[in-house]
Amino acid sequence: MSLLCEITYRCNLQCPYCYNPLSLRDYRDELSTEQWCVVLAQAAELGVVQTHFSGGEPTLRRDLPAMVAFASGAGLYTNLITQGTFLEDALLDELLAAGLDHVQISIQAPEAALADRIAGTTAHARKLEALERALRRDVAVTLNCVLHRLNHDAIGDAIALAERLGVRRLELANVQFYGWAYRNRLALMPTREQVERGEAVVTAARERLRGAMEIAYVPPDYFDDFPKPCMNGWGRQFMTVTPNGMALPCPAAAAIRTLHFENVRDRALRAIWQDSEAFCRYRGTAWMPEPCRSCDRREIDWGGCRCQAFLLTGDAGATDPVCSLSADHRLVVALREGNGQREPVARRA
Amino acid sequence: MNDAARPRFGKGVKLRHDADGTAMLLVPEGALALNAPAAVALELVDGERSVDEIVAAVISRFDVTLERAHADVHELFERLEVRGFLLLRQGSG
Ligand SMILES: C[S@@+](CC[C@H](N)C(=O)[O-])C[C@H]1O[C@@H](n2cnc3c(N)ncnc32)[C@H](O)[C@@H]1O
Ligand code: SF4
Ligand code: SF4
Repeated sequence: MSLLCEITYRCNLQCPYCYNPLSLRDYRDELSTEQWCVVLAQAAELGVVQTHFSGGEPTLRRDLPAMVAFASGAGLYTNLITQGTFLEDALLDELLAAGLDHVQISIQAPEAALADRIAGTTAHARKLEALERALRRDVAVTLNCVLHRLNHDAIGDAIALAERLGVRRLELANVQFYGWAYRNRLALMPTREQVERGEAVVTAARERLRGAMEIAYVPPDYFDDFPKPCMNGWGRQFMTVTPNGMALPCPAAAAIRTLHFENVRDRALRAIWQDSEAFCRYRGTAWMPEPCRSCDRREIDWGGCRCQAFLLTGDAGATDPVCSLSADHRLVVALREGNGQREPVARRA
Repeated sequence: MNDAARPRFGKGVKLRHDADGTAMLLVPEGALALNAPAAVALELVDGERSVDEIVAAVISRFDVTLERAHADVHELFERLEVRGFLLLRQGSG
């Protein structure tokens, strides 16, 4: 079981693909260091094994090393998810001393002009320096790049960059349409040609780099016949805590207006996990409508993503419209084919 | 695989034992469940012991033939090496 700690939503970049919520008003009252440590202790006791520090940009919190040290001391595997603009040697020293196991650094594209255009600011060069610093250290490093229409054709260059820098693990993740990405879905939706070309490049590179680099590729679910097994099932293995302490079954779940999510300030993690209304609502298979209820795949994909069902249909309990068996599948087809429509991207402030 | 090689873990790889007696290998973005012989073999990975010594230790702890233990340890180590979780050559990683 793993816990995603979104310790702040503040960020100095403005990626149009960011899955963070559009309005950050509700999230300004961030949990304190002590409150996060309580959450981490409760998580370890609940059986959480891995913890991810993310956001927003988690390195904007000065107490990040203290939280990592606490998690590590509680026996948790610690992962930092960062865009790297603040990952200086001094911070790396502190994080490694705190016992950080893994750092995932994201870039917007392999080449500076495009990367900075996507990030909305000049950052790429600094991010690459951070990546190189991390690679020299005694910590596992993953390089992440979110794929969408603006950078999909650069997959080959991204792999070449990773190879040149000696990256052992590269994650190429197609954009998931939540938060800002949902807002910008028409501008970000790749074309089928891009996706097919990209997948061929990945397949060839995996073969060539076997044993030297692992490429984790996350396919775009809008192009599949069946949905992704989102979170491996609602409330089964995964929990997110937002900067203000809300406990979610998935990082995008706060968008579901029809559910009430409890706060770790009010109730222990175990109680929220085991019997809060939000975690129980879509756990398992009993809640499923047809066609999922009688489908052979119901324990493979768990009916897909509740957040996607809500965003597209207004009903979080509907079959994920990505599924070709869903009565709402035409919504996804329309979106997929609506790409190419030129729309200016919207950005966070 | 060279039986004299002295394996060590790659960066970000950790063996974890739980109270219920099970063990898993924690790796970047994942966890691999381990059976008892695999857990014993990986417990002995320290950059000092050789593959041969590890196979011998597995035989002393479980009722298995040399061929079987040798094959299982090699299979496990090769699978982990391909993903960079185990380093079998000097200086790599
Ligand atoms: C929200 S970010 C927070 C951490 C840090 N600010 C960063 O961007 O690396 C967490 C991770 O999700 C990725 N990401 C952001 N938006 C995404 C989306 N819509 N779909 C898939 N991955 C996304 C980022 O590249 C990053 O690896
Ligand atoms: S994805 Fe981009 S905008 Fe979102 S938190 Fe990460 S760096 Fe900031
Ligand atoms: S009908 Fe439901 S369970 Fe079956 S494949 Fe579609 S989403 Fe998955």
